[in-house]
Amino acid sequence: MRRRATDIALGALGILLFLAIWEVVGQRRMLGLSWPPLSSVLEMLFDPSRFGLFQRALKATLSAFAVGYGIGLVAGVAVAALAHVLPPLRPGMDRTSAVVHAIPSIALAPIFILTLGRNATPTGLAALHVFFLLYVATSSGLAAAPAVLRDMVASLGGSRATVFWRVELPSALPTIASGMRLAVPAALIGVIIGEWFGSPRGLGVLVINAMQNFQIPLLWSAVVLAVVCSLTLYGLFGLLQRAAQERFR
Amino acid sequence: MSALRHSWGVLAILLAWQIWVSLAGLDAIVMPSPLSVARDIASAPDVYGAAAAQTVLLAVAGLALGMAFGTALALLCWLSRVLAGMLTPLGIVFASVPVVALIPVLARIFGYDQRTVLAIVVIISFFPSFVFTGAGLRALPPGSDDLFRVLGAGTWRRLRLLALPAAMPDWAVAFRIAGANAVLAAMVAEFLMGTGGLGHLFHAARSDLAMERALGASLVATVISVLGFLGASVLERKARAAFA
Repeated sequence: MRRRATDIALGALGILLFLAIWEVVGQRRMLGLSWPPLSSVLEMLFDPSRFGLFQRALKATLSAFAVGYGIGLVAGVAVAALAHVLPPLRPGMDRTSAVVHAIPSIALAPIFILTLGRNATPTGLAALHVFFLLYVATSSGLAAAPAVLRDMVASLGGSRATVFWRVELPSALPTIASGMRLAVPAALIGVIIGEWFGSPRGLGVLVINAMQNFQIPLLWSAVVLAVVCSLTLYGLFGLLQRAAQERFR
Repeated sequence: MSALRHSWGVLAILLAWQIWVSLAGLDAIVMPSPLSVARDIASAPDVYGAAAAQTVLLAVAGLALGMAFGTALALLCWLSRVLAGMLTPLGIVFASVPVVALIPVLARIFGYDQRTVLAIVVIISFFPSFVFTGAGLRALPPGSDDLFRVLGAGTWRRLRLLALPAAMPDWAVAFRIAGANAVLAAMVAEFLMGTGGLGHLFHAARSDLAMERALGASLVATVISVLGFLGASVLERKARAAFA
C-alpha cells in the first residue's frame, strides 16, 4: 500500500517536472519561438473567442473517430472470428491484413478520397487502423482459449458454435479489450492523416493550417487537444480492459 | 501451393484493383492499374532505388537510435526506483500520443529537413522500447530475484544473468512494433517535409499528376514495411524460443 502511494507521488512528480521544463524552455526561448511556454498554450486553449473554432474541429475529429472506430472494431472482430472458425482461411487473412496495414496511410488517403470522398476519408483510415489491431488481438485471444475447457464442452456434447460462444469468445475478451485500448491512438492517427488530405474541418486541418501559417500557439493548442483526446479515451478503454480482465480471467 | 495459401487475399485485392480500373475506364491520372504501376517501377529503378535508400537509411538510423535510447532509459529505471516511478507514467502517457500530430511541431523546432524525419523515427521507436523493455526487466520468474539476492549476486550479475534475458522477448516485441512503423513514419514525415525519399517522391509525383509514380512509391514503401515486419516477427519468435 505504501509502495503504491510512493509510485503515485513519484509519477505525479515526474509529470509536474515535465510540465515545468516545458514552461521554462518556452519562457526562456531556449528552443526559439517554435516552443511556446505551457502557459500561453493554455491561455489560447481557454480563450473564449477560440471556443467555437476548437469545438467545431473537435466535433469533426471525434465523430470521424467514433464511426471509424466502430466499423474497424466490428469488422476486425468478425473477420478474426471467421478466420478462426474456418482455419484454412487463416494464413491468407493474416498475410492480407498485415500487408494492408503496411500500406502507408498517406498513400491510401488519395485512393480513399477517390472512392469514399473527402469527408469519409478520415473515417476510412481510422477504420483500417482499428481493423488491423482488433484482428490481431481477436485472433490471438481466440487461439489462446484453454484447450481443457474446449475439450470438456465438446465432449459433453457442445456443438462447435457452443464452444465458440461459451468458451473461446469469453476467454478472448481480455485480449480484445487490450486491442481496443491500443486502437485508440491508432484510430486518431488515421483521422488526423485523413484530415490532412482536404477535409473541411477537424484537428488535423487545424494543425496543418497553423503549421503553414506560423501560428505557433495555435499549432501547439491543436496538438495538445489531440493528445488530451487520445489520453482520455485511452484511459477510459483502460478501465474497460481492467473490467474485462477481472470478469473473464 | 503454400505461397498461395498465404497470399490469396493480397492477390485478390490486386486483381480487383486491376479489374476495377479497366472496367471503370479510369484515366491513369485518376487511378492507374497495378500493372502500369509495376511497369513504372521497372522503367525507373534508379529513381525508386535512390528514394528508397534514403528512406530506409533514415528509418534504420532512427530505429537504432530510438531503440538504444529507450533500452538505456529502461535500464536506468531498473537501477533506480525513484527514476522508474517518475518516468513510467510519462512513458505510458507518451506511448498513447498520436505521434504524427507531433510532426508539424517538430518541423518547426528542427527545421524542414532530414533531422525532423530522423527525430520522428527516433521518437516513434523510443516509446515502445522504453515501455516494453521496462516491463520485461521487471517481469521476472517468481522468486528468482530473491534467490539471486540471497545467493549474494550483485546488481550487475542480476542484470546480466536474470533481468536482461527475461526482458529479451519483450524487447523483441518492441522491435517488431517499432520496425514496422519506422519506414511508414519516415515516409509521412518526408511527405510533409519535402526532403527527398519515398515520401517526397510520392508528394512530388502526385502534384505532377504522375499517379503511377506516386503509387509506385507507396508500393515500394509497403513492400519494405512488410519485409521489416516479417523479419522482426522471425526475430521475435527466435527470442521467445531462446529466452522464454
